[in-house]
This record gives sequence, C-alpha cells and structure tokens, in this order.
Amino acid sequence: MATTLSLGLGAAAARWRHLPRDARDTLFQLAVIGWTFVPHLSHLAWWCVLMAGTILVWRGALALKSAALPGRWLLAGVLFSAAVLTWWSEGTLLGKEAGVTMLVMLMALKTLELRARRDAMVVFFLGFFLVLTNFLYSQSLFTALAMLLSVWGLLTALVLAHMPVGMPPLAQAGRVAARAALLGAPIMVALFLLFPRIAPMWGVPQDAAGRTGLSGSLRMGGVAELATDDSIAMRVRFDGNTPPPQALYFRGPVLSRFDGREWTRLTPSFPPPQRLRADVQTLGQPLRYEVTLEASRLPLLPLLELTPDRPDSAPVLEGWTPTLRSDLQWQLERPVTERLRFQAQAWLLHRHGPRAPVIGLRDHVVLPPGFNPRTMGWAAELRRNPDYAQADARTLAAVLLASIRSGGYTYTLEPGTYGRDAIDEFWFDRKLGFCEHFAAAFVVLMRALDVPARIVTGYQGADAEPVDGWFIVRQSNAHAWAEFWQPGEGWVRVDPTAAVAPDRIQRGRSLQPQPGLVAGAIASVNPQLLAQMRRLWETLDNRWNQWVLNYSRGQQFELLRSLGVQAPSWRDLAYAMAALLAAGSLAGVAWALYDRWRQDPWVRLQKRVRYRLLNLGVVVHPHESPRTRAERVRQLLGGNGEAVAQVLEALERERYAQPSRAKPDGRWWRAFRTAVQAATR
Amino acid sequence: MTVTAAVLPEPAAPPDAPGRWSMRGRFQQWLAARTPATDVWVLTQRNVYILPTKGGVAFALTLLLMLVASINYQLNLGYVLTFLLAGSGLVSMHMTHGTLRGLTLRLRQAPPVFAGEPALLEVVFTSPGDARHGVALRFADRRKHGSHAFLDVPALGQESARVSVVPPRRGWHALPPLVAETGFPFGLFRAWTVWRPSLQVLAWPRPEQPPAPLPPSSPAPGESATARHAQGGEQDGVRAWRRGDGMRQVVWKKVAKSGEMVSRETASAITRELWLDWQASGVGGVGGGMDTEQRLSRMAAWVLQAEHAGLVWGLRLPGRELAPGQGDAHKRAALEMLALWG
Repeated sequence: MATTLSLGLGAAAARWRHLPRDARDTLFQLAVIGWTFVPHLSHLAWWCVLMAGTILVWRGALALKSAALPGRWLLAGVLFSAAVLTWWSEGTLLGKEAGVTMLVMLMALKTLELRARRDAMVVFFLGFFLVLTNFLYSQSLFTALAMLLSVWGLLTALVLAHMPVGMPPLAQAGRVAARAALLGAPIMVALFLLFPRIAPMWGVPQDAAGRTGLSGSLRMGGVAELATDDSIAMRVRFDGNTPPPQALYFRGPVLSRFDGREWTRLTPSFPPPQRLRADVQTLGQPLRYEVTLEASRLPLLPLLELTPDRPDSAPVLEGWTPTLRSDLQWQLERPVTERLRFQAQAWLLHRHGPRAPVIGLRDHVVLPPGFNPRTMGWAAELRRNPDYAQADARTLAAVLLASIRSGGYTYTLEPGTYGRDAIDEFWFDRKLGFCEHFAAAFVVLMRALDVPARIVTGYQGADAEPVDGWFIVRQSNAHAWAEFWQPGEGWVRVDPTAAVAPDRIQRGRSLQPQPGLVAGAIASVNPQLLAQMRRLWETLDNRWNQWVLNYSRGQQFELLRSLGVQAPSWRDLAYAMAALLAAGSLAGVAWALYDRWRQDPWVRLQKRVRYRLLNLGVVVHPHESPRTRAERVRQLLGGNGEAVAQVLEALERERYAQPSRAKPDGRWWRAFRTAVQAATR
Repeated sequence: MTVTAAVLPEPAAPPDAPGRWSMRGRFQQWLAARTPATDVWVLTQRNVYILPTKGGVAFALTLLLMLVASINYQLNLGYVLTFLLAGSGLVSMHMTHGTLRGLTLRLRQAPPVFAGEPALLEVVFTSPGDARHGVALRFADRRKHGSHAFLDVPALGQESARVSVVPPRRGWHALPPLVAETGFPFGLFRAWTVWRPSLQVLAWPRPEQPPAPLPPSSPAPGESATARHAQGGEQDGVRAWRRGDGMRQVVWKKVAKSGEMVSRETASAITRELWLDWQASGVGGVGGGMDTEQRLSRMAAWVLQAEHAGLVWGLRLPGRELAPGQGDAHKRAALEMLALWG
C-alpha cells in the first residue's frame, strides 16, 4: 500500500518535472488561485463554488494537453450567466457578498484568457484584491498565514512571467519573490505604524451588522444563532481581584418597548422632566478593568455593570465620546469599526433609577393589547390571591422565579419557533427556551402584575481560564436578563435564566461547541494536551489581536508619545512618515554614490594590501599579482616576511581558484593583518 | 546559448531631422552626448534609466483601491497586505535597476556580408556579480526593427545575444542604437539603456542575379595563347602548394598519401588570366544603360564566378586595379574594393 502510494507520488513528481514550461507555470498559478479561493468556500453560493472549481480544473486540463483556450464569446456567456446567478442568489450586484462572488468568477474566468503578458498582470492584481476580500471575513492568525502563502505564490508567478528564458525552477522564482517581500517588509512596518488611521470615507455597508446579538432589538430566536457563535466579542482584564463569573454582566441595549413580537428601545412618551434618570449610587469597592472590544459595528460599549459616568471611572477613548444613557448603557457616536482598548471602573454593588415613583415608570408597564391573553389571565389570578394583592415587586419577582424553577421549564438552545402569542405558548405549553424567552416572559408577567420591568441585553460571564491575563467574552456569552423597579431601591436586576439553568450563569458558558474531528481525537487521547494547545493558540491569537489587529489611532499616538511628541495629531504622523521617506531616499542616494565609488572587491583588496606592504617598507606596484608581491616581500624581509609571503601566495591561489569567488574571503584579510603585525615586531 | 533578433534594413536618413535649436533637437543632442558611440558599454547609475510600466501604474491603482477598502472596512490586515505589496513593489524597482546596472555589453566584429543579406552580430553580456534574469536586447527604433532577444546572464559569467542587420546597400554601415531593457522581477518597472555601438558593418555589392557570363580571358603576357589549353586537364601538372592556391586546386589524394600539400597546375591557370573590367561590365545590360550600382553588382557576381571556377583573375575599376590572383583573401579584397568604390 505504502509502496504503491510512493510510486504514485514518484510518477506524479516525474510528470511534473517533464511538463513543458507553459503548462507548469499555468498549473502553479491555478494552484495559487485555488488556494486563495479556499477561505471563501464557506460563504460563497454553491453555484459559484461549482463553477469556479470547474473552470480551474478545466483550465488545468487544457494546460496539461496544451490545448487551445476557449473563445471570447463563451467566456462572455459564462460571465453573463454568473452575473445573473449572483443577482438571483444575492438579490443585488453590489455589496460585499455579491462583490466577492463576482470577483471569484472574474478571477476564474480570467485564467481562461491567459494569453498575453497583460492578461497575466490582470490575474495578479485581481488575485491581490481577492486576498484582501478574505480579510473581510476573518483576520485571524490562520487567515493571515494562509494569505501570506497566497501572496508569495502570486508574486512567484509574477516573477516567473518575467523570466522568459529557459525553464527557471519554481524555487528560484520563489526566492526572488521572497527576497523582494522581505526587503519590502521594513517599508510595510513603517507604513503600517505611521499611516494615519482615518475613519471610513463613506458608510460601511451594513451587511455585517448581524454579527452580534446586541443589535438593539430582540425577537424570539434571534439570540439562538449567537449562542453557537464562538467568536470573541471582547477581552477583559481586571486590576486586583477577579470577580466571580456570575457577577460579570456587561450591559448592552435596554429594551423596554414591546409590540407583541419584538422588543425595542423605548422612546419615552413623557416630557423630559418626568423621564427616568440614571441616579447612580455606588456601594463598596470600585473594580478597575481594561477592555479590548472587537469591532462590533454597533455604536455602544458593553461595559461591566455598573460603570458610572464619572471622571475616574468613565472609559476614555481617543477620538470617541462615550456617553452614558439614562438607561445606563454606554453609547458611542458611531459604530465601532476597529478594535478599541480602554480602561474603566465599575462598582459591582450599586443602585440606580428613581427611588420614588415617577410618571416615567408608566412606560415600563405598557403591554400591547390583544397579545398573550392566558398570561394576562394568570397574572390577574395571582393578583386576586389575597397573599399577593398588596405584595411589592420583590415578592412578586420571587414568586415568578419560584414558578420558573418548579414549573418544569427547560433551558435549551433549540426551543423551536414560537407563534403569535409566544409568551403564552412558552409559559404554559412548551416550557422550552433560553435566556431571551425567560427574560421576556418574566418582564411580561411583571408588567401584567403592574410592576415596571424591562429587558437588558448584553454579555454575561467569560471563559473560566484567563489567557495571558485576559478573560475572553465570546459572542456565545450574549445574554438577556431583566430589571424590575422596586420602590426605595430603584431598578433591581434579576436573571430568570439562572433560576432554571444556574450553570449558565455560574460557568459563564451556555454550551460547549461540538469539538471538531481532530480536536475530538486529541481530546479522547489526552484531554490536557488539547487544553494546553488551546491555551497556547489563544495566547498567540491574543498577542496577534493586541499587536496587529488592535493597532489603531490610539496606539499610533501612543507610539508618537513614546517617541517624545507631545499632544500628537495625525499631522505628526504625516510628518513622521515624510521624515522616514526622506531618510530612506537619502540612504538610497548614499548607496548609489557608494556603488559608483566601489570597484571590484578584488581590486580594492589589492589596494589595501599595497598600503599595508608600504607600511612594512615593501614597495609594490598596483598591477603586481600577489605572487610577485610575495617574492618582493621575501627579497626584502627575508625570513621575517615568510609568513606574509605565504599568506599572499594563499591569496593568489584563492583568486584564481576554480570556480572563482565573487568576493575575497574576509578571513584572509584578518590572517594577512596578523601576519603583517607579526612581521612589524 | 544565443538568441537572434530579426531586424529590418536601417533607414537611409532620418525623414524629418528636428531643428538644432528645437526642444526635441536639443534633447536629441543631449542624449547623443550622453551616449557616446562605443563598442564596450558599461552600465552604471548614469546610463540606466527606469520608469514604471503600464502594469506598474495599474498596480499602483490596485494598491490605492485596496487602501480605500482597508480604510472603509477598517481592516488592519488589509493595511498590512497593501503596505507589504507597496514595499515589495518599491524594492522591485531597485531590483529591476540592479538587473542592468553593472553589466558590460561588448560587440564582436561581424564578417562582411552582401547587401541585402543579414549580418549576424554577437553582443556579449558580462555580469560582474549575481546572475541577471530576463534581460532583453532590441534595436532602439521599435517601429522599424523587429523583436526582442531575451537572455539570462549567469553569475560572474557571460551570455551572448545575436542581432542581425540587413544592410540595404554596399559600403560601411553604422549600427542603429541598441536598447537593453528588463522588467524583472515583477514587470512593474522597466529599466533600459541606450547604446550606440561604434562598430560598423561592411556590405559588399549584391551579386547580380542571374549572373552574366564572364568576360573572355586573355592570354597572359609572354605565353602562347592556346598551346596546352586544348589538350585539356590530362596534362595538368602538380606542384607544391603556394599561398593563394584555392581549396579546389589542392590534390587531396596526393596530400593524403604524401602528407605534403600539393596543388594542381592547370593549363588555364598558368596561361590565361582574366580581367574583370569596369569597361566590360556595362555591356549587354537590359536596355543598354546600366548604372553604377548595377555594374558593381555584375562585377561582384563575376568575382564569385571566377573564384568558383578556380581562375586567376584581376579587377579593374576606373583609377584602381587589383593585380590578378586567386583565393579567399583575393576575393575579399576585390569585393571590399567594389563595396567602397566611388
């Protein structure tokens, strides 16, 4: 079996070596293009994958057979049908998804047109752009490494296209490409560090907004997808003691308006004086923490409850003005499109909201008429119970939580879909749901009991083990909980999900994602190894995020500050870049002058040897060979100069050796110097 | 390995020579001063020029587009990619320039040819250091002269390309300016140098086709006209080889036996000598009148015929004369005389 395999590989290798130049280059190019396509496979339409794959394979077969390429009309036809299919599957020809689909199709079709050098250049430039589009979906270390390989491949193919003579080995072209890229790397680093980061020039298409659950609205089923999304939402690091996971509530949008189907933010129906105010009162010790927030594309900061709006505690972000809404959610003026890093201070013990009844609270007991009649009836029944007729909000909440705990409710990520009267269905019939079902049912019941209540969305908990000191909050930590209003205390947080699935709150993780095939195999052999590998990977990934992906305007200014620039602005960045550019150009000029001055290294060595010999008192002429000089040294210095003469003869042998060397060996000069010094003594 | 560049005839004269004081004229003068005619052309910083190609401009536009995409989607890796490509592109500029810089171009003298036939000239590229790839050689005037010849120069080695020129007329011909250029490694930039070789190519007059019959030979002074000639070649003697004897005259069988070079002594060779005379060349032309070039062509054809027949022949032009003789050197001297006459 193994022999057959190696034979097969050997035959393939032999075949590869005997391919004509054109076929080999084309196959290499197709392989690079195919590799660049790979990360796109997961989000491309099936027809696009099929067509692009077929075209690449077809082109490969044509190259192997050295057959003629198809005519232009066929290509135009395929392109047209690709456009129609894009329209059909994406609904548009613009936007990110449609753009990537069309780019992949164009790239594949262009390979069928590789006739002239110009076509080759077009393929390369399309290829570089395609590499860029991969970063729209992922900027992970993996993607970066895979795409680095792609860029190297594309550059190698470009070099091959400009080596028209003979059949240069791929490795040779690869070395040239790598050399250019490596020498270009300092320029890349300088530009990356100093190129001013500016805000998007026009509105970023909103097609990526669905990536996070904190979208400012909540509809049954919306959070289910996120619970399985294991990507990282943010990272948190605490100064001092780490609070327990069940205390970590990161506050996002507060949803108070319910239309029967969807929860949205409240537009207060009362004039400003009667509206609710934050009225924050902090208790106990503050907790200082640092956050690295991923680009959420939402205009808000999910901060730890409760981060008040005070100079010592509010987050400070260069170029941003975070404001605290009256519902205690931190708002930004524009969506977060870059990684943000900031510090803030929170008080885990706190009170907020009006302590005495205000008219604005009435907004929080409104329920849409005609929805969930059975729930309404259940609440009215409870109120008629003499025990609870005059009960306060806290007592009623306890009753509801007790009902949840004992009522046979099940926490599941796959509760199925709910109909029009979703709360009725959940509360009485199916009893299956996750955080949003529990929170929504709780709030509706509280309101039916005439207690002001609202839903808070955000993130709850974090990974149990910190990576590199940072706790990771994932999208699967997205959560919904509830707040009700208690006279004298203000808003009180209650997490109905905790009543049925305490694990969800204490461990901070809802469900572990299914391990992949390899991970599963490793885990079954050695669970610790898997954990260690995972830890190592996440450390690497974190460093990658901190140093590369997190690098933004704030970090640029920090860099300038550390270089001694006070109050840096983007202008200073431009100056720094210009200065670097000027320095680079000057260095280039200096090098050019040096290059003009320098001669053949052997000639220069001869000159240096001559000066040294002059110091010894041996006069030799510039044109004399080392052997002649050795003779002269022997004549004049006798035994004293024997060592020098021998070294000179060695130089003669080295100079005219076959194959001859481009440059003299540096060791020879040292030996010569030592010999001359010895002779001087 | 050698490569050939096909080339068309060089032009008679520049059709519209720019005025001496016009901008273009001055530029041409300045350029001519920068590129002295020489047979050894050392490429340095001073004579290697570089500009972006169309592909390079397209690359810059692609990078700009990628930068805008990176800004709009706030892709830090997009910045990394864009700047990496920009850096590589800049480095490739130096690499492109470095591919030519340091090379030495030498032209080897080509043997003379007949007008209308291609003269092959060998251009030797020498690299003092690294290997150089994808260097192209062509004539400067791309519209009139053919294609590129590509070559790779090995490290510390030599490689030659052959260029061919077809001289349209007899006489000395200067070579048109040559251009060595390269786009290696990425084709984003094109580095080139213009070289005006000082070497000249000699073109003999084109032999008349079909050749006219040779003029009649006359008896050599002091010999009887027909004595031995009538008895044919049987009585041909054999003598020791002398300088100037043609290959055909050598008796190879005897040479193989004796090891000494011996030549056949034919009667005609001894007794008759042929004068290829300018006066005779005008006779029998179509329509009577033959111009100088046609007469020279006819004489060139005679030279070839006479030499082919192994005759002893001399050449007479008005004011010049080549004594009768035989052999390759004699033929060349005669043809050169014809080429440069007038």
